[in-house]
Amino acid sequence: MSRESYREELSALREAVVALSETVVDRLELALSSLATGDDEAARRVVDGDSEINDRYLELEGNCIDLFALQQPVAGDLRFVAASFKILTDLERIADLATNLAEYALDTPRSTVPDVDVQALGESVVEMVEMAINAYAEADAEACFAIDEYDDSVDQRCADASDAIVRDLIEREATATDSTIEDLLADVSRLLLTIRDLERVGDHAVNIAARTLYMVENDDELIY
Amino acid sequence: MSNALNESKTESSSESTGVTTDVSTSTTTTGESDEQIRDEWSDFHFDGPAKLSVEDLNVHYGTDHALTDVSMEIPENSVTALIGPSGCGKSTYLRCLNRMNDRIKAARIEGSVELDGTEIYDANANLVELRKRVGMVFQQPNPFPKSIRDNISYGPRKHGDIDTGLLARLLGRDDTDEEIELVERSLRQAALWDEVSDRLDDNALGLSGGQQQRLCIARALATDPEVILMDEPASALDPIATSKIEDLVEELSEEYTVVIVTHNMQQAARISDQTAVFLTGGELVEYDDTEKIFENPESQRVEDYISGKFG
Repeated sequence: MSRESYREELSALREAVVALSETVVDRLELALSSLATGDDEAARRVVDGDSEINDRYLELEGNCIDLFALQQPVAGDLRFVAASFKILTDLERIADLATNLAEYALDTPRSTVPDVDVQALGESVVEMVEMAINAYAEADAEACFAIDEYDDSVDQRCADASDAIVRDLIEREATATDSTIEDLLADVSRLLLTIRDLERVGDHAVNIAARTLYMVENDDELIY
Repeated sequence: MSNALNESKTESSSESTGVTTDVSTSTTTTGESDEQIRDEWSDFHFDGPAKLSVEDLNVHYGTDHALTDVSMEIPENSVTALIGPSGCGKSTYLRCLNRMNDRIKAARIEGSVELDGTEIYDANANLVELRKRVGMVFQQPNPFPKSIRDNISYGPRKHGDIDTGLLARLLGRDDTDEEIELVERSLRQAALWDEVSDRLDDNALGLSGGQQQRLCIARALATDPEVILMDEPASALDPIATSKIEDLVEELSEEYTVVIVTHNMQQAARISDQTAVFLTGGELVEYDDTEKIFENPESQRVEDYISGKFG
């Protein structure tokens, strides 16, 4: 086996992408728990930690560019570096969405709508991200399709949740006074944004799966 | 297929434990024999006619089997790159396309090579005509120790396309104007004109290596060939001269069929339309669109070779 240091750099890139994804998932879970408990300190940790993730993202993106420029990867290696390059962007975006969620948690007061379980949705999208990164780390093509299917059900649940929130708004609006209507609208829009952001995390998990499928099988079926 | 997937999973799980540093992720290539792979890419089709059709070509040098059952069709007006490790037979293959191996006594050539549908190994084939139609450029620039002008006009004179001098003038067949035009046209086509137009009578050996190589290309173009064979034409040149040759090759492919042997895989990737990979034993392992070869080759051996996992 020749090109030893090149092979080592490729392995190191894969490990670094997986490590970054673990940090991102931690932040996502912390943001979700701060939404549930109102723990401002936890939420602040997520918000403050985003710049660290951005730095790491830029560093790893630079590593990919170095590999392209200096090692000129081809075939499977090329698809691996190209997929990693794209997946890094998705991880960075997921971290941004985690920051959004933490910011919603810092806004008080929090509202709830009986039919909407934000935490259950949150658990699902965290699971999707973990599945996607596993598929990447294990070069598992079949898992990529499973993540795509999973996303269809998450999208449906998000649409249902948004409907429930709007219905709830209409009902409560009837009994609201001029002094409470502002708070009610702020609550509802925050909740709608929460649902939208969770749905987007799922979309990024699908992107990771799509790039992984391309990496493994040269198949761009899931890339839209 | 499921078998291939399983293999890949085992491979990658051992990677994640750090046992191996192999990061190959392709599952489409594992577990398939080269025979199956050949079936896949033998479907390789191109639009337009084949300029050269090679079938079951075998070359032996004495007891050494240099090329084994090579079949491939080379499309017209395109660049075909031949890559592979040293001794894989790619230069031998190239030299079969204008019968340069005829000059090697120990070489035994079997099979068929057709140029525009006509067998070039036919007993009645006209070798001079063949080599006029199929020109060649070698690794080391090899201009004649003559003026730049004479390097260009030597071929056309030999072929009787150009006649100059006192006798020609007396006989009323003087082609001096044609010669001037031919020299300029050939040098322009080889992107050398601007650098040498004011010193056409200087000795060609005074040119730089990159200029000499472009002169050799101009010389090959002067006989109005249809196919140009290039055997590592840029390997002895610096990066700037190399990029000039590469630009030239791409330009030439609009009018000519170019077949180029190169050790520089990035060069093959940059300039060729299709790439043929020869591996040890004189075997053509894969032949396909260049993008396909460098992004997703069918053969694991080809993937290993182009990724530098060889040896």
